[in-house]
Amino acid sequence: MKLSINKIITLLILFIISIFSIVLFFKEKKEFSPNENRYLKTKVEFSIERLLNKKFISDFENLLNDQFPLRDNFINIKTSVDKILGKEDQQGVYFSKNGYLIEKYNKPKNNDKLINKLNKFASEVNYVNFNLMLVPTSITINYNLLPKNAITYNQMDTIKYIYDNINFDTINLYDTFNEHKDDYQLFYKLDHHWTSYGAYYAYSEYCNHNNITPIKLGHFDIEEVSNSFYGTLYSKTGDYFKKPDSIHKFSYGNPELDVEYVYEKKITHSLYEEKYLNEKDKYSYFLDNNHPLIIITNNDIKNNNELIIIKDSYANTFVPFLVNHYKKIHIIDPRFYKMSIIEYIKENKSIRDGLFLYNVNTIDNDTGIFSIR
Amino acid sequence: MIFSSIPFLFFFFPLFILLYFSLPFKYKNYILLLFSLIFYAWGEPIYILLMIFSSIVDFINGKNIEKYKDDNKKKKIYLIISIIINISLLGFFKYADFFIKVINNILNLDIPLLNLGLPIGISFFTFQTMSYSIDVYRGDVKAEKDFFTFMTYVCMFPQLIAGPIVRYETVSSELHKRDINFKKFADGFTRFLRGLFKKVLIANNIGLLFTLITSSEVNDISIMTGVLAIVSYAFQIYFDFSGYSDMAIGMGNMCGFTFLENFNYPYISKSITEFWRRWHISLSSWFKDYVYIPLGGSRVNILKNIRNILIVWILTGFWHGASWNFIFWGLYYGILLLLEKFVLKKYIDKLPDFVKHIYTIILVFIGWMIFAFDDSKYLFEFIKALTSNKFVDSAFLYYFKNYFLILVIATLFSLPVYPKVKEKVNNSIFTSLLSISIYVILFIVTLSYLVSDTYNPFLYFRF
Repeated sequence: MKLSINKIITLLILFIISIFSIVLFFKEKKEFSPNENRYLKTKVEFSIERLLNKKFISDFENLLNDQFPLRDNFINIKTSVDKILGKEDQQGVYFSKNGYLIEKYNKPKNNDKLINKLNKFASEVNYVNFNLMLVPTSITINYNLLPKNAITYNQMDTIKYIYDNINFDTINLYDTFNEHKDDYQLFYKLDHHWTSYGAYYAYSEYCNHNNITPIKLGHFDIEEVSNSFYGTLYSKTGDYFKKPDSIHKFSYGNPELDVEYVYEKKITHSLYEEKYLNEKDKYSYFLDNNHPLIIITNNDIKNNNELIIIKDSYANTFVPFLVNHYKKIHIIDPRFYKMSIIEYIKENKSIRDGLFLYNVNTIDNDTGIFSIR
Repeated sequence: MIFSSIPFLFFFFPLFILLYFSLPFKYKNYILLLFSLIFYAWGEPIYILLMIFSSIVDFINGKNIEKYKDDNKKKKIYLIISIIINISLLGFFKYADFFIKVINNILNLDIPLLNLGLPIGISFFTFQTMSYSIDVYRGDVKAEKDFFTFMTYVCMFPQLIAGPIVRYETVSSELHKRDINFKKFADGFTRFLRGLFKKVLIANNIGLLFTLITSSEVNDISIMTGVLAIVSYAFQIYFDFSGYSDMAIGMGNMCGFTFLENFNYPYISKSITEFWRRWHISLSSWFKDYVYIPLGGSRVNILKNIRNILIVWILTGFWHGASWNFIFWGLYYGILLLLEKFVLKKYIDKLPDFVKHIYTIILVFIGWMIFAFDDSKYLFEFIKALTSNKFVDSAFLYYFKNYFLILVIATLFSLPVYPKVKEKVNNSIFTSLLSISIYVILFIVTLSYLVSDTYNPFLYFRF
């Protein structure tokens, strides 16, 4: 038999296909994909009904896709090929200078809805002194690091529009961020959150607005708790050649705290959960990820001030600074807290301060804030 | 099921190959049929009944047409039954909602839409079975005697979903006896791979650019960005469709069948008439043989000829989808072809070649613009942006820089560069090794694209 080129190619690629098929079907199934932060399909159920309503097939497809051998390596190859082809972003995340991955900001659609929601909410408990803090993200603060001509909508336009139409106090972070962005890293390079430094400057701006004397940066005991944080943007792009971020913990004294996870019926005495430092999802180190309602009591505080924060995950790094000033902080994440927050405020009569804390990049698509009541 | 997916490449395909080639010839058609049914049922199990129904009906009609080949009246009746059934299937599943909307609009009614899912490949298999009945009627081909063989033809998975439209005539003898050997298999397999590369590496990639641009605010699109969107669409549809045809033809070869070519470098055409001899050949020849010529073709007076051309092209457009823009798109080509035939031909012939190319490409690209947007409001806004917005903006520069290499690659492979290179190089060890490594590398890269399609970081659920 004469071996033509086509025959050799055919044999080689059929060989590759059979190896992958065999491994795919006979290897041990993987349960969890840390990079995607989700559970993988490991088995399919068969029934005539599931066959007819297409569940069986789609589950089976997901199983094959999820369990495909060397999955993470293939993602990496794809990203590398894209880079060679000259692509400067991956699914709306820009490969930027100094090792930054920066998430694109799209034109928001729900500004007016948001404004109405917040104004109405605040007016129903008008004795509470509300603040709105919309955090501009990396794409605004690190704009000069983006690839040339990168396409994005201006976050400051959104913030300005919303602030102009809100009936209560608003806190602008742009100037302070801009002033300090060269001193410290305010945003993670590989994650969509701000760092503790970013949160610190926001805290200090919040204090200035509310007649609280912020603790000076130099008075904190700053500790690097991890130097291997590969965040969400790293996962999203599959650009596995990036250097990881560090996570810092800011401590001030050693206050006696009660951290109550109300719906989980769990009380701890720390703002941090060490176990996450050994996992992929290291941002959860701060306040154990997101919960419907957390109440933090600082037993060392002499005043009786109580604050309610309605927030997204940006607040998890921010709250540790504020515990030094409030007796009690109630933290509500409306994505998970589905009851009336207004009722909650009325029941907890000592609440006098309120803060909406959201990053501007995702608030437009947030699943909680638009249904608060 | 689609070829460019992990379930196909690593489950269906190896299993099929294993069974198809390990069993003796008399079982091969059954295996092919069985896998075709699974392939079809993959996306929509219930519509498999439709295929079985279609096979039974046309098998019986074909038999009857042949039985009464000397009785003109009876054979015509069976032909008409076959055509009516096929057109009704297509009409009901593909066009019912379109016509309901039209009627609702005209008569100001509120008939509820059926919202049926479109059975995959229905536009292709109904056309195939119709051509079968007509060919038997005309005596061009003998009716198939064995039902399962006929059903194998109707359901054959390689070309089931996106063509080419394979006429019974083309494969009738191969359905009974075909040469299956490793050389043919290898040629078919490499053809399949080239189609796969075209689809995954070029079409999907450039399609991303089109989606990116058209999902941004249409009023902000600069002229050059708009042009880039159309160019990317033109490449996407060509590489998608011709890639699929390559995969189908290649898969057919592997099983021992010989299908006709469906694309022949359409973007190098020097006139619209030539474009349609190079683009989706199985469709245009179908309409020519089963609509245009029976209507009298060009052997009638000029007015009738014009009518015939317009009918054929409106139908061709409408075949592509149940929406007005496809009708306009067909009409657009009808008019262009009329103009070329009766007015422009003598002028075009005198033009230098490069002008002919530019003329053709521009008209074809304008055609794609009509084709791409089934939302007419969007189409008008898009045209408005193309005529009134600023010429170039930073978004264009970004897109162009990001997609420059892919655009170059797409352009190269739209031209007959591959066959030219293949012809030129001599088969040295070096070139052999080179071409083998290119295939293997591209296959790995293709895999990485397919895998990354299924990679969906679930990032925000707990953040």
